[in-house]
Amino acid sequence: MLTDLTDEQLLAQALAGDEGAFTVLYRRRQGSVFRFALHMSGSTQVAEEVTQDVFVFLLQRGSDFDPGRGVLGAYLFGVARNYVRRALERNYSEALLNQPADEEAQSLVTVDDPADGIARHQTSTAIWKAVLSLPGHYREVVVLCDLQELSYAEAAEALGCAIGTIRSRLHRAHHMLGKKLQHSAAVAPGGVSRVAARCAL
Amino acid sequence: MTCREFKHSAASLTLWELSRPHDEQILHHADECPKCGAWLDRQQLLAASMQTLQARTAGRQAGAHVERALLRMIRQVPFEGAQPVAAYRSAPIAFRLSRFFELGAYVAVTAAIVVGLFLGFRLIEHRSATASVQRQSASANTAPVQPTPAAENATMKKIAPTMREQPSMSAKRQLAVHPVSQSGSVRAQSAVPALQISDDPDYVALMFCDPLSCSSDAQVVRMELPAAGATSDRDAQPQIADVVVGYDGVVRAVRIVN
Repeated sequence: MLTDLTDEQLLAQALAGDEGAFTVLYRRRQGSVFRFALHMSGSTQVAEEVTQDVFVFLLQRGSDFDPGRGVLGAYLFGVARNYVRRALERNYSEALLNQPADEEAQSLVTVDDPADGIARHQTSTAIWKAVLSLPGHYREVVVLCDLQELSYAEAAEALGCAIGTIRSRLHRAHHMLGKKLQHSAAVAPGGVSRVAARCAL
Repeated sequence: MTCREFKHSAASLTLWELSRPHDEQILHHADECPKCGAWLDRQQLLAASMQTLQARTAGRQAGAHVERALLRMIRQVPFEGAQPVAAYRSAPIAFRLSRFFELGAYVAVTAAIVVGLFLGFRLIEHRSATASVQRQSASANTAPVQPTPAAENATMKKIAPTMREQPSMSAKRQLAVHPVSQSGSVRAQSAVPALQISDDPDYVALMFCDPLSCSSDAQVVRMELPAAGATSDRDAQPQIADVVVGYDGVVRAVRIVN
């Protein structure tokens, strides 16, 4: 069964021309790559474009991947990070950053409990805006470690830096996010409160 | 636990671990210290917000059209032949234009480097040529001429016509004719520049004279030559000649006056 194979084995078979192996690998990894790009850019269109670019790159340059240096997941995040940067530089990212996550956040509202849905929507929108307003090198560690739940070592491998750098950037990013959240809670009339955030859990 | 130890312990925990800390010491200190308690509250609020965002986006994934596009690309293009440009099929026109300008910039820089190298080589060539010409002219001015016998003969043959080539100058540069004394064969002397003499067409050069040694003043001596020395006719009158004598006593040229 192809689903029992590891990522590295699937990649080897895909590079040998096995379409089924590539499909399994894609379905296994595309979600995390897409979400990483989505959290980084705030745009579904950019995230899909980046996802496609990452797997095209994997097909073309997958032989460059060295399993001895790390896992394929972290390698894909590293590739996705470069494509996201390129996408943000070249197109409509500025417009998106001016209205961050509003379009995407609409889909986050649940209809089961309107009050709870609104609170979660506000929380999600506020934190996403705060994340998107971070400088790039802080944003990527927050997305990788806090939203993708990578370990510090995996994040360091994906970003090509030391674990200590990840720690310090994350600490600084949390400090900035805390300030931004406090500010947005103070400004917004029905802003995110600690109780509401805890209730959202 | 001090605040410093609290921060140190908390820094080693991830955001998720901080949202539900199991360390009793951390919790106890957060209850006791309002500042550290507020910091822990902010981290827990942040963790809760992150968790909400994460939960809400957990189910998001790329559309099916992305997978279809990838599979279509795999079937159409062999893996080895896939070109990197395929990754930018959906790129906007502005990006393609920027790639075009980027390529143009590379070409312009390359052309500038080539032109710079060409001009540099030309400049170096020009300088080296100028320096060699200067060296050659300097050596020609300073080095003494060592003519070979053949060259010497050729030069001597050339000097005589040169003296006769400028008749127009001779009228202006006539040598002063001094009165002939009766006492000796040497009638008179006058110091004239050798170049002035060389311009007179009536003088006949008697030796090779290089420009350096002949540039100094020479003396013109009017002499009465024995008739036998001048002509074969013994009854003929004695010949009067102007002889140009250099500073070294060597006769440079002679002119028969009568």
